[in-house]
Amino acid sequence: MGMSDLDQIDILSGLKPGSELYAIRRERPEFVEGTELCRETVLSPNHGFGLSHALRAALASRMARFIGREDLAAVYDLILDDAGSDPDLAAIASGAETAASADAFTSAIIRHADLVTQTPRNSSRGDIERLEKAGLSKPQIIALSELIAFVNYEARVLVGLSLLEEVE
Amino acid sequence: MSTSRFKVKALSWSPYIEPVDVATASEEQLAAMQVTPSNTKVSPYVRTLAHDPESYVARTKLFNAIMYAKGGLDRAERELGALVASAVNRCVYCASVHARRYVELSGREDVVEEIYVRGLEGPFDARTQAIVDFCKALSETPSQATSEQVQALRDHGISKAEIVDLIHSAAIFGWANRLMHTLGHSVPVEAK
Repeated sequence: MGMSDLDQIDILSGLKPGSELYAIRRERPEFVEGTELCRETVLSPNHGFGLSHALRAALASRMARFIGREDLAAVYDLILDDAGSDPDLAAIASGAETAASADAFTSAIIRHADLVTQTPRNSSRGDIERLEKAGLSKPQIIALSELIAFVNYEARVLVGLSLLEEVE
Repeated sequence: MSTSRFKVKALSWSPYIEPVDVATASEEQLAAMQVTPSNTKVSPYVRTLAHDPESYVARTKLFNAIMYAKGGLDRAERELGALVASAVNRCVYCASVHARRYVELSGREDVVEEIYVRGLEGPFDARTQAIVDFCKALSETPSQATSEQVQALRDHGISKAEIVDLIHSAAIFGWANRLMHTLGHSVPVEAK
């Protein structure tokens, strides 16, 4: 088994090919393949509704940082570089405060990603209305919501598998 | 089986944004919603997410695998993972659905009563406590979940393969809650 058999989840969870947990993961191919397919639909979808692959990668990196997985953030930083980064996108990825000069559309997206990643319980109708006022279309609101939710899912899978790899 | 008779009310869900209208939906949206001439009734939740059919289709397939795949962790305990995540994230709608499924599958009204009345601190029986503690930490702040919590699951006879299922059931509700609780809210079931 070569390194190419490792996916992002294996690598970031510290699983080696041939290890017990690597083998256990492969007993659930629908989880392994399903997670990778979901990643494509939120990070690099065929229909992005005007939310670029680069913006999506920058947001994913930012959320991973806020969740405390610098290693996951670094992977999304590489994807961002491949998609074509710029100083504004790099600032989003870094977790920096939104610049005062940022446009309302981008600021609203960043605010929402931060809120729903960190304190989803506090979100309300007003938060969706803010996105609409900032000019997001309905498909953009759904696409953003799915992206935010995916990264939060992925980070939890990674953390869980990493801990499981540590026990007997 | 418990002696508790605690009941969780069924709820409906209402979106904050206008859902896709089946009458004007695109081919891709209709396929995602699985609309056919004999099946035109689609829930508001599905119609809301169908604004982005690509992500909806992929996530639904993954969700169903995690919650319903054969073997591995008992289905009731996957529902408990879903319930704990939903309680942490205050997704009232998700909590009500999965509390009721958990009771149907396990008969443990006592656990649900404890969670609804007093919260996630318990006390619960030892195995339930181990599941609740781990799923709570993973849902709240992943960096605060510990290998001791995972060891506690192992000590209660939960295999590594079953723990993989539990991790996914809690994690997929970190996803589902971030849709249902942010894109809409629970409402009482309309009187028939």
